[in-house]
Amino acid sequence: MTALLETPLLETRGIWQRFGGLVANSDVSISVGRGEIVGLIGPNGAGKSTLFNLIAGVYTPSQGSIILNGEDVTGLSAAERCQRGVGRTFQVVKSFETMTVIDNVIVGALIRTTVMREARRKAHEVLEFCGLAARADTLASQLIPSEKRRLEVARALATEPKLLLLDEVLTGLTPIEAQTGVELVRKVRATGVTVLMVEHVMEIVMPLVDRAIVLDLGKVLVEGKPTDVVRDPKVISAYLGDRHAVGA
Amino acid sequence: MDTAFAKRRRRDLIVAAIFAAIAAIVPLFVKDVYVQNIMVLTLMYAALSQSWNILSGYCGQISLGHALYFGLGAYTTALLFTKFGVLPWFGMLGGGLISAVIAMALGYPCFRLRGHYFVIATIVIAETALLLFQNWDWAGAALGIDIPVRGDSWLKFQFVRSKLPYFYFALALACVAWLVTWWLEDSKWGYWWRAVKDNPDAAESLGVVVFNSKMGAAAVSAFLTAIGGSFYAQFVSYIDPESVMGFQFSLLMALPAVLGGIGTLWGPVLGAVILIPLTELTRSFIGGSGRGVDLIVYGTLIVLISLARPEGLVGLFSPRRKEAPR
Repeated sequence: MTALLETPLLETRGIWQRFGGLVANSDVSISVGRGEIVGLIGPNGAGKSTLFNLIAGVYTPSQGSIILNGEDVTGLSAAERCQRGVGRTFQVVKSFETMTVIDNVIVGALIRTTVMREARRKAHEVLEFCGLAARADTLASQLIPSEKRRLEVARALATEPKLLLLDEVLTGLTPIEAQTGVELVRKVRATGVTVLMVEHVMEIVMPLVDRAIVLDLGKVLVEGKPTDVVRDPKVISAYLGDRHAVGA
Repeated sequence: MDTAFAKRRRRDLIVAAIFAAIAAIVPLFVKDVYVQNIMVLTLMYAALSQSWNILSGYCGQISLGHALYFGLGAYTTALLFTKFGVLPWFGMLGGGLISAVIAMALGYPCFRLRGHYFVIATIVIAETALLLFQNWDWAGAALGIDIPVRGDSWLKFQFVRSKLPYFYFALALACVAWLVTWWLEDSKWGYWWRAVKDNPDAAESLGVVVFNSKMGAAAVSAFLTAIGGSFYAQFVSYIDPESVMGFQFSLLMALPAVLGGIGTLWGPVLGAVILIPLTELTRSFIGGSGRGVDLIVYGTLIVLISLARPEGLVGLFSPRRKEAPR
């Protein structure tokens, strides 16, 4: 039991991903501990989304393995990984547009129970948690963008994930909306869920995450405490650029 | 919790029971055989369209090849009865099972196709089956099968003196198809299908096994469609490939659902009630030379519907979900 608790929740070991001639990830080894909030950052084209999709099970890596909770899940489909406790959101929101908000969330809840009454109860609970309860009977297509982002999180939470993968959920929101989002992520972590988030908005992410992993050109450039990472000269030149060095 | 939702489901059930009861007593007053015939066909197409709606409406896999399953149901029943003397009831079950298995065998390669490519595949497969049956001598080839009258009873599922038993069977079939849909709508499968239709990638990320969901929808849909085909074979007592597997059947199964409201519980029933009598009446008024006029009527209706009410006619009846204040 203690041995299991000491192993990281998620580990990628020497991940390579090639798309034709393009190497999107080369030899990426990261680990995410239980209960952590880890930020995955890096400039455009650094390979963040690829790594993210590899962990979620959208692609199978060309080489390397992905270990979840001590189990090798490299060959498993996205649905099988969800079953094992990986929940995710999409950068470009993918709501079930013709379904109501509550029905969207029920789809997620049905992976843990086939009793409709139970799934519906769970979905209500999650909507309450995410602050969407008032919109339960609205069609997903009628939500405003920030609500759609929250719906993505709610749907993923309904699957009772151990690891929640957030793909730019705070990007493109107004400062107030983003702040609400940050609070939601903190609340999620407080329930014992581990969070790995890809994010662009540095000002918001940095105070939120326990640890930041910076990718550049498909490789892990630096990882460590957010305050250290932003001061690292390598990160400043690769990601922020010299112009922003002072502001960071 | 969710009393509004439970109430809506119960209300649907009560409304359906009332409609079924009304439908059941209509033939006691309407004795005209021609009108009774139209009513039988209307109920049959309501059932068929409801079955089609499971795969194409709820799960979003648009099939324009359902004539294949209709034909398989008709042929299985007719062949078993004429060649081996098997009662149509067993033929019906057999036809349903064969269709479900074939639907899954065809789904295995076809469900990897998305959107229009899938639609094209369904058309081609049904047309291929039509050609095979037209050239299959043992099954009567293009001449078809004449189903001999061997009784006038529920056991043989043949009725000579009165068409009324056919009417009641068609009514029962429509009720069963509706109930199956009603039940599936609030089940794991129903939710999975709608998720697959709206966004397969998101569905997969939530643990929905997209491929299996499609296979399940195809099997249920094909099974029910074949039961309709078996019934039709007994009803008309003569089948040939063109009259049970022709492309028009695929259209006639899809159109009521599209007209009434695709992916809705009431859409297929509503669509069939409007469309089928209209077809039959145009046909008889315009006569034999008017073949195709019914299709013009369909076309016009579909264009009007897609312009005015893209979600189907049910949109006129159920008030839109009320918009919560922002």
